[in-house]
Amino acid sequence: MHDQLLFSSAVWLVWAAPFLGVFAAGFTRRRDPHISGDKVLRHDGAAILEHWTHGVGTAVLLLSGILLGLRFGFTPSFVSGKDIALWMNIHFVAVIVFLFGTFYYAANTVLSSHRFAEHLPTKNAFQFTKQHYGKLLGFKFDMPAEDKYFESEKVAYLLAVAATLGVIVTGFVKVVAHMVSVPGWVMGPVSLLHDISTVAMLTFFLAHVFFAAIAPFSWPVLSSMFTGYVSLEQAQHEHAGWYARLRGDREQEQAESEERDVA
Amino acid sequence: MSEDKIHPVDSRNQEEPAPRERVSRRDFIKGIGGFGLFAVLGGNLARGLLLPDDVIAFPASEGYLLVDSKKCQGCNTCMMACSLAHHGVQNLSLSRIQVNQDPFAAWPNDKSIEQCRQCPGAPCVAVCPTGANHIDAANGNVRRVDANKCIGCQRCVAACPLGQSRADWNFEEKHAQKCDLCAETPHWTSKGGENGDQACKAVCPVGAISFTKEIPLQDDRGYNVNLRDASWAQLSYPTK
Repeated sequence: MHDQLLFSSAVWLVWAAPFLGVFAAGFTRRRDPHISGDKVLRHDGAAILEHWTHGVGTAVLLLSGILLGLRFGFTPSFVSGKDIALWMNIHFVAVIVFLFGTFYYAANTVLSSHRFAEHLPTKNAFQFTKQHYGKLLGFKFDMPAEDKYFESEKVAYLLAVAATLGVIVTGFVKVVAHMVSVPGWVMGPVSLLHDISTVAMLTFFLAHVFFAAIAPFSWPVLSSMFTGYVSLEQAQHEHAGWYARLRGDREQEQAESEERDVA
Repeated sequence: MSEDKIHPVDSRNQEEPAPRERVSRRDFIKGIGGFGLFAVLGGNLARGLLLPDDVIAFPASEGYLLVDSKKCQGCNTCMMACSLAHHGVQNLSLSRIQVNQDPFAAWPNDKSIEQCRQCPGAPCVAVCPTGANHIDAANGNVRRVDANKCIGCQRCVAACPLGQSRADWNFEEKHAQKCDLCAETPHWTSKGGENGDQACKAVCPVGAISFTKEIPLQDDRGYNVNLRDASWAQLSYPTK
């Protein structure tokens, strides 16, 4: 008669998933991007794992969360009765995957802080974005020397971080409410902030999926999220700044290797 | 934190202590993750093996509505008063007490008043995952819903053992609701609760609803009682 709510019966998984992600990061050895023949390693295995656990988790969370949340809005309820428990359990499973992926990423970032730095926008954010998308729209701009991530992507990253933090902090409070009595005056604002974070996340998600997967000009890079590699030509043309950095690193390594040989 | 090597002690200066080996960031991450996992899994195991099973016991309510369905005229005034007192609107769908009328049944058995029985076992409270539906100790242990904590799972609605659930979904404010013996009636100036008045009882024109502080017999006979006195026999009403 009463459907099992995993948020009540298996809540320990919500606390275990982040620690599992952190623990796994401790044993992860990263491979830095490098030029390998006619292709460039863009994403190592850890990056691919982080991306897809976080991403698939986000997608299912958005779908299930919005379906559940719309019951409280001005729209008809798309789920009712027994379906409510089903979608809450789907939401729960997605939470576990999402938390593992997010904390795995966070711990990897602590271990390789330069990877976090290359996600942050620089002073070229506006200028590069104007040139880049202006050129795509047909204006006579030169393609800027974008780094591994486009400046526009780096700005979007800030939205993703804010949305992720918001949804995790408020989500944890909502989970705690299944374990102990949390006052109603706390739950009201927490639920509202969870909703706002969801909208922010949805905005980022839709833009990301469009620009990273649906738009044809992104397909060469999309494959790197599965294989890890992009073509040398893609790197040279679309990420000239990154390519120059990789070449500089390679030349520096070769020089150091020659010095050691001489010594 | 860094991975410094241990420096051998200089034999010319035996007083200088060797620097301690530092914990690397990687070791710290492993430690945090491992300890956290151990704590969660271990705590869960300990909870399951060592702690006794939870025993849920709810204090009994200090007030109960009793009704006389045979006396009921089906005017629905109680329903309108309930929705008015709680929500400020007369809406039969928002009433926490319901009067059912069966057109195929013979009088005086054609109406039934479905009031919340403030069950001692309170299954609607037991199944609530967030404590929104709770025992309100400040109001005579009435079983009521805190709307701010309701997540809309509607398990309370499904859990009610009575044919027509006494916990229902407020489709306008989007939360579960149930009879609270008028403990919280923002649109009624009279004092409600177990020591006060109830809107449905106050407005019933024939006195088909009463209130008691004693726990009724736990079946239909306990909650659907005979409130007809001898004067009702003059109207050809059955008085037994």
